Amino acid sequence: MSAALLPAGLRFGGARARHLVLAARLVAGASIALFALGTPGFTSPLSVNALLNAVSFIGCVAVGMSFITLTGNIMSLCLGATVSASALIFLASLSLGISAAFLLALAFGVAVTAAQGLLVGYIRANPILVSIAGLSLLIGGAALVTGGQRIYPGGTGLQMFKGRVAGIPVEALYFFATVIVGQFILSWTRIGRVMLMVGSNPRAATAAGLGTAGAVTAAYAVAGACSALSGVLLAARYGSGDMELGAGYDYSAIAAVLVGGTSIQGGSGSVLRTLIGVTVIAVIEVVLLLRGFSEQLQYLITGAIVLAVIMLHTVGERP
Amino acid sequence: MKRATGWLLAPSARPFTIMAGAILVMALIDRGTGYFFSPGTIFSVMQLFATLGLVALGLGLSMLVREFDLSVAGMVGLAGAIAVMTGVTNPWLGVFLGVGAGVASGVLQGIIMIWLGLSSVGVTLGGLLTLQGLTYVLTDNRTIGYPNIAVALKLNAPIADLVSVRSVAALAVFVLAALVMTCTHIGRDVIATGSDRRASRIAGLNTDRIVIGVFAASGACAALAGVLLSYSLGAASPVALADVLAPAAAAAIVGGVSVVGGRGSPMGIAAGVLTLCVLRSGLSAIGVEPHVHDLVTGIILVVIAVLDAPDLARRMTAWRLDRSERRRRPIAGNS
Repeated sequence: MSAALLPAGLRFGGARARHLVLAARLVAGASIALFALGTPGFTSPLSVNALLNAVSFIGCVAVGMSFITLTGNIMSLCLGATVSASALIFLASLSLGISAAFLLALAFGVAVTAAQGLLVGYIRANPILVSIAGLSLLIGGAALVTGGQRIYPGGTGLQMFKGRVAGIPVEALYFFATVIVGQFILSWTRIGRVMLMVGSNPRAATAAGLGTAGAVTAAYAVAGACSALSGVLLAARYGSGDMELGAGYDYSAIAAVLVGGTSIQGGSGSVLRTLIGVTVIAVIEVVLLLRGFSEQLQYLITGAIVLAVIMLHTVGERP
Repeated sequence: MKRATGWLLAPSARPFTIMAGAILVMALIDRGTGYFFSPGTIFSVMQLFATLGLVALGLGLSMLVREFDLSVAGMVGLAGAIAVMTGVTNPWLGVFLGVGAGVASGVLQGIIMIWLGLSSVGVTLGGLLTLQGLTYVLTDNRTIGYPNIAVALKLNAPIADLVSVRSVAALAVFVLAALVMTCTHIGRDVIATGSDRRASRIAGLNTDRIVIGVFAASGACAALAGVLLSYSLGAASPVALADVLAPAAAAAIVGGVSVVGGRGSPMGIAAGVLTLCVLRSGLSAIGVEPHVHDLVTGIILVVIAVLDAPDLARRMTAWRLDRSERRRRPIAGNS
């Protein structure tokens, strides 16, 4: 935001800095990998499973958040609540059959965020304000409907969303599928390209006659679908749910997006970068856990590393 | 009449209009049963104001210069923990260290942003996670009790049945902020920096210093909120982030602070906070279930988001033209 405003002498930019940053990234990546592999027990099936699980739930939300960030709308504070609410819808409608419940949860997630996307896209309402409004409405609405009670599954068939296939947790398979679909939308569909254009220069995109409002709405809809999927997976794993299920996921998701190197200004980044970001954070958390750091220190070190990585990225991306 | 409504809806007066509207609606719902207009309700409104208000003020100040200080949510918890741990024998030392930590974190994040030219969301998100981590480490992920109960009692003791020392302290900070913003050149410089940073820089303003100063103030406000809250609860614990940030941002925006910068005032923010507090305490005083408050807040926020949307007028005009065009077309066909 203020990058272009700084006098040239104060800036860190230039080709040399970019090479330095690239080198720093490689060194950082290599040292994380070495540190991880050198940690006893990191490659054990138990720890790999823990890693995959940690990646999956937050990863789905982070993929969705990437779309919001990429279209230049910074972040949504509502995705965590969308996760919880979709999980509740899923659990409550399980009596209709597993696929109907899944589709209902997905449709609900899409409806919640697409409505916000319409406001942001068509009349350029403030994305953060709209997401806080959505958060309040979801929390109030959920309390109104459930009376604050936990929701337990009204049917069976949860096996579809938990357990493992060929030794890999099903959650991880769903997450990887989400990443592939997300990256496909972004790179190989017209609307995906328009999303990136809107993010990098909304005025130019409008002037070029692209359907910018539709692209923003679609980006929000994708975010809702991803959050709903995360909600379904969480519901299946824990077998019951309330509005606390996805609380705080918004912050973890945006941290993963930024650590992956997607620009907070929008227009530059990818879903694959978010996959890297989620993985880096999860690897650090698992390593800290295995090395016997207390939970408190894990929070602190993860926070500091996120801050450092965000600084590193933005310095490197300066023209 | 038109002039009157125009004045009421003017950006600078709108927070107060919304607040008056909220109070009026509560009074109508109350219909003279006296549950809403009681000293008890006013006292609880002011208690809520003391916590939410200062966080909203800090966040709102950062929004005035077109930044967004997410780290306020982490600062509330950290400052509370610092104060509770250091202020057992001398509460003022706890206040000093807690607020000092707020200023230090604000200055540090401001310098990082200015020096590296980063956007505030990224830096303060990292700051938020780091501050929260520090809180976990300091408190050992437990609730830390504050043995000096006398301080807690004194902070919450009602003055004239309406306010407490804590809410008076929060009000005093608001008055101070309002004085600085209206009576000194700092206020003018802050607004100028938020409206157009490049132009302000060209006009000879040291905008870097303004931004760092604003972040220091924002950290200090959030820290003071945390210190007062922890003292009056007699305990500190790592707080849930979403519980602080979303209402604070909502209050600041209801209070007329524009996210595009340069618009808003401390008194407006105070009105925004009071609106939310009146709704929350008022609704519960009347006996409405608590979740209605969330729904009402959500609806108000949607309305403000729509009214403030820059393209609303354009879309409306386009839609109207389109409609009148369609109506005219058959006539054109006749001739």
